Amino acid sequence: METLPHILIVDDDREIRELIAKFLERQRLRVTTARDGKEARRAFANGHFQLVVLDLMLPGESGLDLARWMRTEGKVPIIMLTAMAEETDRIVGLELGADDYVTKPFNPRELLARIRAVLRRTGDSEDRVPEGAAQSYHFSGWVLETTRRRLLDPAGVEVAITGGEYDLLVALLDRPNRVLTRDMLLDLLRGRQAGPFDRAIDVAVSRLRRKLEDDGRHAQIIKTVRGGGYVLSTPVERR
Amino acid sequence: MKFSAWPKSLAGRTILILLAGFACIQLLGLLIHTLNQIKLERIQEEQVFATRAVIIYRHIALAAPADRAALVAKEALPKGDTLTLSATPPAGDMTYDLPLPAREIIRASIYAYGIPMGLHPHGLLVRGSGVPTRVIISFGMAGAPNAGPPPPPPPGGKLQSPGGQLQPPPPPTGGQPMMPRPNWQPPPNGWLTITSPLAPPKPWRSPGFASAFIVMTLLGAVMIFWAVRKLLVPVRTLAEAAERLGRDVVNAPALPESGASEIVTAAIAFNTMAARIRRFVEDRTFLLTAIGHDLRTPITRLKLRAEFMEDDEQRQKMLADLDEMESMVAATLAFGRDITTSEKVTRIDLASLLRTILDEAADGAPEHAEALSFSGPEHLTISARPLGLKRAFTNLVGNALKYGDAARITLRLLPKDFVQIDIEDNGPGIAPEDMEAVFEPFRRLETSRNRETGGSGLGLSIARNIFHAHGGDIALKNLGGKGLRVSVTLPV
Repeated sequence: METLPHILIVDDDREIRELIAKFLERQRLRVTTARDGKEARRAFANGHFQLVVLDLMLPGESGLDLARWMRTEGKVPIIMLTAMAEETDRIVGLELGADDYVTKPFNPRELLARIRAVLRRTGDSEDRVPEGAAQSYHFSGWVLETTRRRLLDPAGVEVAITGGEYDLLVALLDRPNRVLTRDMLLDLLRGRQAGPFDRAIDVAVSRLRRKLEDDGRHAQIIKTVRGGGYVLSTPVERR
Repeated sequence: MKFSAWPKSLAGRTILILLAGFACIQLLGLLIHTLNQIKLERIQEEQVFATRAVIIYRHIALAAPADRAALVAKEALPKGDTLTLSATPPAGDMTYDLPLPAREIIRASIYAYGIPMGLHPHGLLVRGSGVPTRVIISFGMAGAPNAGPPPPPPPGGKLQSPGGQLQPPPPPTGGQPMMPRPNWQPPPNGWLTITSPLAPPKPWRSPGFASAFIVMTLLGAVMIFWAVRKLLVPVRTLAEAAERLGRDVVNAPALPESGASEIVTAAIAFNTMAARIRRFVEDRTFLLTAIGHDLRTPITRLKLRAEFMEDDEQRQKMLADLDEMESMVAATLAFGRDITTSEKVTRIDLASLLRTILDEAADGAPEHAEALSFSGPEHLTISARPLGLKRAFTNLVGNALKYGDAARITLRLLPKDFVQIDIEDNGPGIAPEDMEAVFEPFRRLETSRNRETGGSGLGLSIARNIFHAHGGDIALKNLGGKGLRVSVTLPV
């Protein structure tokens, strides 16, 4: 029997800590909790974690400092819990190398989905992304900034995209020149997108193409593969 | 009664008053100049005439008394002049008083033109006559010239010729030979009278004067315009600052406290007032934000607890309630944040932003997908704060769906670098008296104050704050019971 993934929850609210632990343990995850930076460091010294869920608003040492410290210790993936209002914290956190974020108050199932997605991304060797999360992708003159979640056209103009389109684009950019079937894409995107999503892949691709000015008939960036799937057929530079 | 030409603006009124004063000064100056000019012209004309009269006198006096009458008849005269030789001086009407030193000029000329002493006039009458103004000069003729023709007048009007011929001494009557004295004897050879009309005065005949006067007047007027406009700039600055403060209390820049002392006083008073309003708004915003922050922890706990409920239906309902609470908290936080933080302005594609918002709305409510539409250019780049604009338009689309079951967006470019975004729905619209009230924070129309349509009552306030901060505006219009049109204008 494989060992359960070990998760460290760092949050200053005891009830939230315990409720998350209880909820995640039900979902076949092993959970350790810490109330602040000191406890988190102690837990880090005593155990090996596959993932850290880290509240950025902590008493004493700030979550950002703690995340920075964890980054120096190893490659453990981090999901940040951020307040909606603290956009700059979120950007700094993502720039520090946090893998994802969930805004408070969050839906527990969304948190679970994110945890699973990050675990899959970092744990699954076959599907492993080259060198962790990129801060920006450059392709065909376009730029996708992951820290600010924004797409810039070749002239530097920001082009708005939905969360689903963003995730789809990241999934494609992480695997250039690899055919991704609808099922694979669904699997990769379920982490973020709730609700019905089967036909949604095609819809999201056509919306994305429209925004990338990638003519559907003669698409150059996202090509349709006969037999159901898509492939990103342009060189991608990760920075 | 109101004078219709009275301008509305302070600058206009000041300029009008100053121009009126300036015109008075100019007219007065013109009058003084004219009177002076008339006097000068008269002096000059009399001077010319006096000189002419002496030359004529010399010519006649140098002839033998017997030949003088013939010479008088033949004398070439300028037009208008008359020349007579009579036993007594003609009676001139004395209505015209000659204040001018014509007499002095005549006396000086007699010496200047080298009239032999013996031929100096025995009397001189200088008079004037009324309308039309004439000058009358009568000389009492001297006797025959002593010997032969007189020498030509010496150059430069010297009394003595180079030959050194001495003139005969003046008659014993003494210093004033030309003045008729009380005991004067009528001259033996009659009176030579010359009259000349004075031309009517033309004080403005010089073209230089006219153009100089016009240029001066124009220059003065231009300076008045310039100075008044410049002086009143602070008034406009104050008005603009008040306008900016009304639109964006927190980020409105302070008024510079410089310039004239009155302006400085006004600027300081304005800035103090702005600071007080700002503190009030910030206190209120801080309160809202603090409540919003504090509510997040219990909501998070409740969402976690809901996961442990056995009853699936009740859990779903509880989560829906919590989501609604969360969106209210989010709106409250957004309301507080919009006023206090400023996102950076970047170039964004407004068309794709609007389409993205509609796509997200369609994803969130698939049953409404058919009622969402966008028409406009494929791409339209503007400078804006992307997150702010997205929040504002998401609120508007959300309202349109909630109250009007549809959201049709039209995007078009207006002249003068503005864009207009219309969002139409199929709802009942808004009563005209509520058009302004819907923008007030936490204000919801009574008809919508129920659980179904709920909401925080902040959506439109937030949207309007954001549009105002962009230099844009938002307006509502009923479509005759068939829906509501929300029109947003934004600078490119």
